Amino acid sequence: MSLKGIKDQTYYEVLEVSRAATPKEIQRAYERARETFAVDSPAIYSLFSDAEVKEIREAVEEARRILTDEELRRSYDQSYFQIGIEPPTEAPSETPEISEEKKASLAFSGLLFNTEKETYRGKDLKEARERMGVERQAISGKTKISMKTLEWIEEEVFEALPPLVYLKGFLKNYAQSLGLDPQKVVEGYVRSMEESRKK
Amino acid sequence: MIWTIGGGKGGSGKSFITTNVGICLSKLGIRVVLVDADLGGANLHTFLGISPPALSLSDFIKKRVSHLEEVLIPTAVPSLQLLTGAQDLLNAADAKSVQKRKLIRSIQSLNSDTALVDLGAGNSLSVLDFFLISDGGILVVTPEPTSIENTYRFLKSAFYRRLRHSVSSPSVKALIDGAMDRKNEMGIQGPYDLIRAAKGMDEGDGQRMAEEIETFHPNLILNQVRSKKDIEIGFSIRSACQKYFGIHLHYLGYVVYDQDVSHSIRRRQPLVLENPRSRASQCVMEIASKLANSHKAATPFQEYEPQGH
Repeated sequence: MSLKGIKDQTYYEVLEVSRAATPKEIQRAYERARETFAVDSPAIYSLFSDAEVKEIREAVEEARRILTDEELRRSYDQSYFQIGIEPPTEAPSETPEISEEKKASLAFSGLLFNTEKETYRGKDLKEARERMGVERQAISGKTKISMKTLEWIEEEVFEALPPLVYLKGFLKNYAQSLGLDPQKVVEGYVRSMEESRKK
Repeated sequence: MIWTIGGGKGGSGKSFITTNVGICLSKLGIRVVLVDADLGGANLHTFLGISPPALSLSDFIKKRVSHLEEVLIPTAVPSLQLLTGAQDLLNAADAKSVQKRKLIRSIQSLNSDTALVDLGAGNSLSVLDFFLISDGGILVVTPEPTSIENTYRFLKSAFYRRLRHSVSSPSVKALIDGAMDRKNEMGIQGPYDLIRAAKGMDEGDGQRMAEEIETFHPNLILNQVRSKKDIEIGFSIRSACQKYFGIHLHYLGYVVYDQDVSHSIRRRQPLVLENPRSRASQCVMEIASKLANSHKAATPFQEYEPQGH
């Protein structure tokens, strides 16, 4: 694994286990991580600040919660790694494929998603989609995200959105389908959601 | 193959490990040279039960003897020799890259399969360079917080030194120098922030730094462990390094705390010869077996070219 911030790591990376890890291996890795990042651990205090340790501990707990629950783990894998999602063999006429040209034109327009942008709002995603002339249904067909969820993402109906772990996966797939940088979109959307909740 | 043993604190057992692992390797049929480069106190000869040698590497460098082999000290163990005086070339006062290369070339030219270089607890740039230039760097640490803290300090210095060497832009080099101070005004808390900042300044340099991290794999030996919990500290250190530096630290193994160790040192007799069945000896033998096996698989650090001051 390369150097990543804790927020950018998958739950497998947080616990330092492989994607094929058994429940027993995950539990063992969790116990080891909990010990490593315990308050009295001699291995961390001179490298990490208290805030960083707290953040890592929270990520470890969340990773264990998801990966030790068979159903949650399967959903996480599906949303994050797109496992088990069959690629459409032929796009139905009402869900046209988004052409590479369209993606490229958006990527180079620089109007909506410049690299300095800190937050991504639902309306930004909607605007990007509409600019490309792509129907919400086409995104749904391509990403297998329900129409309702896409609408909630775009309209920022935060209280109706799925848990963060799934939302990140959906945002990633949505961004990819539009040819946008998934990491920036996920981080930016989550940030704008957190800012909105603070208000 | 050149292994360097460094980092940590004085007293963590680097010379003990160097000597005893070297003996075990020679028992496994590998021709070994132990190189004493401890600036703080070169005394591998004492661990081997040999009187202070009359000849050292300096005699060869200063042309007082014509062949390097003449300054090699034979030991009681077949196919194990000792080379002293390497610390003179690593002395911070006159450590130039040409001298470091000369030392490397001297060691490589010896008629042996493996060299184990005891770097002591030094943290000077030339010691860091030698650690980075070798085929494998080994950190010896005890489970105490002070020892771990010093090891991280050494590792951090080596890590930033390696990154600094990989970049070409003077501004990125200055950024790395500034990032060494955790209270820097740039808000760089650690390597993750540093790479992001470097990419912002120079994408190519940032990418090269990320690649350097991928290929940096130091090794770790935990010495004087007294409990299962102590053994786990090795895994914790590995995990902390993964999260903080993004590097994979290879946990080579541990050596249990054993009264026989201090007894053997007092008698100036290597433990693995005097008491090969002791628990500590068995741990050392296990580590040596891993090193012997990794000869073929090891990734050399040869891309790293030492710099002068």
